[in-house]
Amino acid sequence: MNDPREGDAVVRAPKGGAGAAAVRNASEGEGAQALYAARKKIYPRTVHGRFDRWRWVLVWATQIVFYGLPWLTWNGRQAVLFDLAARKFYIFGFVFWPQDFIYLTALLIISALALFLFTAVGGRLWCGYACPQTVYTEIFMWIERKIEGGRAQRMLLDEAPVSARKVAVKGAKHAAWIAVSLWTGFTFVGYFTPITELLGAVAALATGPWETFWILFYGFATYGNAGWMREQVCKYMCPYARFQSAMFDRDTLIITYDAGRGEPRGPRSRKAVRAEIPLGDCVNCGLCVDVCPTGIDIREGLQYECIGCAACIDACDEVMGKFGYPRGLIRYSTENALAHGWDARKMVRRVLRARTLVYGAILFAVCAALAGALALRVPLKVDIVRDRASLAREVEGGRIENVYRIQVMNTQERAHRYRIGASGLPGIAVASDAQIEVPAATTRQVPLRIQIDPGTTAKGSHRIEVEVQSLDDAGVVAREQSVFLVR
Amino acid sequence: MSDGKRLIYILWPSFIVAGVATGVVFTVFDPTDLRFFDREITLSRTAVYSIGFFLFWLFAAGSSALTCFFQRSSADLNRPRGAPFDRPQTPPGKGTVH
Ligand code: SF4
Ligand code: SF4
Repeated sequence: MNDPREGDAVVRAPKGGAGAAAVRNASEGEGAQALYAARKKIYPRTVHGRFDRWRWVLVWATQIVFYGLPWLTWNGRQAVLFDLAARKFYIFGFVFWPQDFIYLTALLIISALALFLFTAVGGRLWCGYACPQTVYTEIFMWIERKIEGGRAQRMLLDEAPVSARKVAVKGAKHAAWIAVSLWTGFTFVGYFTPITELLGAVAALATGPWETFWILFYGFATYGNAGWMREQVCKYMCPYARFQSAMFDRDTLIITYDAGRGEPRGPRSRKAVRAEIPLGDCVNCGLCVDVCPTGIDIREGLQYECIGCAACIDACDEVMGKFGYPRGLIRYSTENALAHGWDARKMVRRVLRARTLVYGAILFAVCAALAGALALRVPLKVDIVRDRASLAREVEGGRIENVYRIQVMNTQERAHRYRIGASGLPGIAVASDAQIEVPAATTRQVPLRIQIDPGTTAKGSHRIEVEVQSLDDAGVVAREQSVFLVR
Repeated sequence: MSDGKRLIYILWPSFIVAGVATGVVFTVFDPTDLRFFDREITLSRTAVYSIGFFLFWLFAAGSSALTCFFQRSSADLNRPRGAPFDRPQTPPGKGTVH
């Protein structure tokens, strides 16, 4: 490796390193091993290369969105705000109410299907580049590297007896980790409560008890998961990692070691002529194991612990370069491609297959349904309940009156004036205020009195329809059924 | 299974379930509409959501803990008093216990 911080003379545990030991430990399964307590700490070696650059691109992209989004404004309010205290979700131009949970459900179904489709095609690309666990681990490891130094220095530091320097270095690292964690916790809570007010409250040390609690809680989770748990989250806690095999098939993109080309592995001189040595291309340098954040040896084949981070590809490509061999001994490929020696074109053609077409078709249908529903969504909801205390009564002129409560929910971010009308029985009319003004994104509940002409309707209950029509927008209208009683 | 791992197996799945349950239940019910032993709830919505979350977590963790409890192998149950967990023991006269 040409990493100046780590140099070539690296302290490395005997072949396989600490990582391999951890894997052997893990692969013994549910035995007597105390996996959490006694896990071997993994010191992934830093690696630079194509895929490492991609990961950093995604770290930046996802975190700019995550940390930045709550600060965007729209219509004079926070653009994305899940205002739990007011039970309203704002997402750019839309305001969602609990009654809109059907959209949320559709969104969840879309996410699940997209995940299935994406996983069937791209394997664990999500894990390797965009999963928060990966992204924060990457950030935390960067901090660790900046403060504690490279892999060898970190191992030495951990073995060293307690000293003022060790305490200072470790303290600085944890302080930096905690700072990032707290900011992350603050941003997280800022999605649920207006972030500018929250910042003011934090600055004045006047956050509410629950806000404080959740900032600390999320911050602590970040610190624990990215600083301490790391690959264990992927191995033992992530449900996605567990059921990925259900979505994988032989055409799924995975990280593979080309055993046909690499074996038999063995060390050799850099000057050895490739065609003349009785060895495959793997020089058995162990770098792929050293860089692996989950501490596995990809040469043993696909393992569920592999998060697809491609660090081993970067490491091996560099080694291949030094020996003048073509890169790609470890590479992105599919089981089928590897078995049949397919080229990239043939591999890409297999993206279209029964499984992905079915996932894709369902996904498209649900997306279209959601888009249609959102486009046709009327920003008005009406709910009518009969006043249980009063049944039908006779009022002046002998007319029969029923009393209701009407709830008018204006889900648009501008005020509306509505006309309330009733239909379904002879001479039916609204006797209470027939117009109602509802401010932007609010609900109003008012009593509603409906009367009909006397002597025209038989005794019993009759269906009626109440219509609420916006006076300034003909498209905003809602109808609601109810019952009119005649005694 | 180590105690640490068992703890994670109890607390973590119940955490996920509690999160989902909180989302579903409080989408359907507005905390301000709920009553506590026939009395109005004066807590803020955020407080009710949070307390609700921890109650769900507690219940779900209880279920996970029972699962762990019932899952103990016969080796665990047969082990002599004081012997460590998870080491296959062969009590006298019982043959191999799996
Ligand atoms: S085997 Fe390779 S791709 Fe998989 S986790 Fe380890 S380094 Fe990343
Ligand atoms: S990095 Fe490549 S050459 Fe080195 S041990 Fe791994 S597979 Fe073999």
